[in-house]
Amino acid sequence: MKRSSLYCILTDVHLWVPVVVLVLGITLLMMLR
Amino acid sequence: MSDATAPAPVRSIIRSGISLHKLGVFCGLSAAVWLGSAEAPTKLVTVGFSPFILSMGMVMGAFVARWTAPTLLKGTGFVFSDLRQKPHLIVWALLAGMLWAVANTLTIFGVRNVGLAIAFPLWNTNSLVGLFWGCLLFKELRGSRTKDWGKVIGGAAAIVFGAAVLAVATAQQNAGTPGRAAIGIIAALGAGVLLGTMYIPYRKAYISGMNPLSFVTIFTFGELGTVSLLTAINLGGVSPLVAELHRARPMLFWPFVGGFCWVIGDLFQQYAAKYIGIGRGIPLSNTNQLWGLAWGALVFGEFLGLTTGGRLLILAGSSIMIAGAVSISMAEPAPSEMEHWHAAMHRECDRYGMDTANVAAVVAGNDPLADHKLQRRWWEVVIMLAAAGIFVWLAVGTRAQHISVSLPWMVVLIAGTIIPLGLCGTLLWRRTRFS
Repeated sequence: MKRSSLYCILTDVHLWVPVVVLVLGITLLMMLR
Repeated sequence: MSDATAPAPVRSIIRSGISLHKLGVFCGLSAAVWLGSAEAPTKLVTVGFSPFILSMGMVMGAFVARWTAPTLLKGTGFVFSDLRQKPHLIVWALLAGMLWAVANTLTIFGVRNVGLAIAFPLWNTNSLVGLFWGCLLFKELRGSRTKDWGKVIGGAAAIVFGAAVLAVATAQQNAGTPGRAAIGIIAALGAGVLLGTMYIPYRKAYISGMNPLSFVTIFTFGELGTVSLLTAINLGGVSPLVAELHRARPMLFWPFVGGFCWVIGDLFQQYAAKYIGIGRGIPLSNTNQLWGLAWGALVFGEFLGLTTGGRLLILAGSSIMIAGAVSISMAEPAPSEMEHWHAAMHRECDRYGMDTANVAAVVAGNDPLADHKLQRRWWEVVIMLAAAGIFVWLAVGTRAQHISVSLPWMVVLIAGTIIPLGLCGTLLWRRTRFS
């Protein structure tokens, strides 16, 4: 069965690594303010 | 521009003899020149403005500049067509812009709390972070010879170490605010991790056959949106942000010029990431510190009072950095490593249903569409004129800054900035048609 693009994006480790780092970065920024 | 009437066979388009490795190295070094020069206009701004506003001015300048000269290279039609073929990559381009914006704000905290000397080498470790992700996620350096591992990792480490030496030397002139050191160190390290992680979307886009101009287009939207939000939060709302921008109007031209240089530098960095990977390309473009230093020392006379020890440190740091860049330049990937690069590309094609032969051709700099005559739209002229008009409008209202500069050195460095643009731009055009 062909999977949708959205499914492929959401299950891609290449997405989650930068997303997690971005969230951590924003959290750090908010803590430092 | 040639006027081909039919698509050329994918593998027959070899336009010039230069290898992609050499082309990528030239792009990385040209990126360093332009990214380093991007710092110069901001030096023309004297005291009294928030660093957030300076940063925001530069990002706004980068956003506007993207619609000037780069629009000439490939029209909007090409960019939209490229984005339509790989719509999933829009997420990554936005994400990269957001990562840059947060990282850049963190660097401001780093410099404020521990000074440039400590902060700069800490966030310069981004090339090592990028190297790690390139190896882990995109199979860079896998299957390469031991001596190539040594050249790349040793070269990247030398560039970071050289940056540390230069930062210590220049700190004699640029002391930071003492105290709150831990916060500054954490912020600078955080910036390094974010910037290094930003290269994941870069590499992702290029092993999927995306054009750097398309990527940068979306990138600037993510960057501007996030920087606007962060600056508004830091200044206490939208109204204070608008008021600060209005107050900064007489000097806003300079960060805009910095943004223009940044866009050109970033485009070269993108091509370097495409053709030699992030493990090799990013350390090379991180030698931009040398160019920033050259502007500071030669044009603005920042180090006139420097001691002999300080001068020797600068010489040592620059030499180490240059040695690192030379080491990486000589580490051309072996065929065994290229097999791993191709495996990473196949993963993307399988996952997102892209045409492998077409993507392979684009990745190799042989975009089958590159020789087709680009269909230009009337609105591209309007966009370019509007973008150029903003620069002219800002230039007209700019207040003269009372900073002494060395005009002969300024001419030399401007020439040294434009020559790589011409040379590398020509090489890119001849070999890849900017694909």
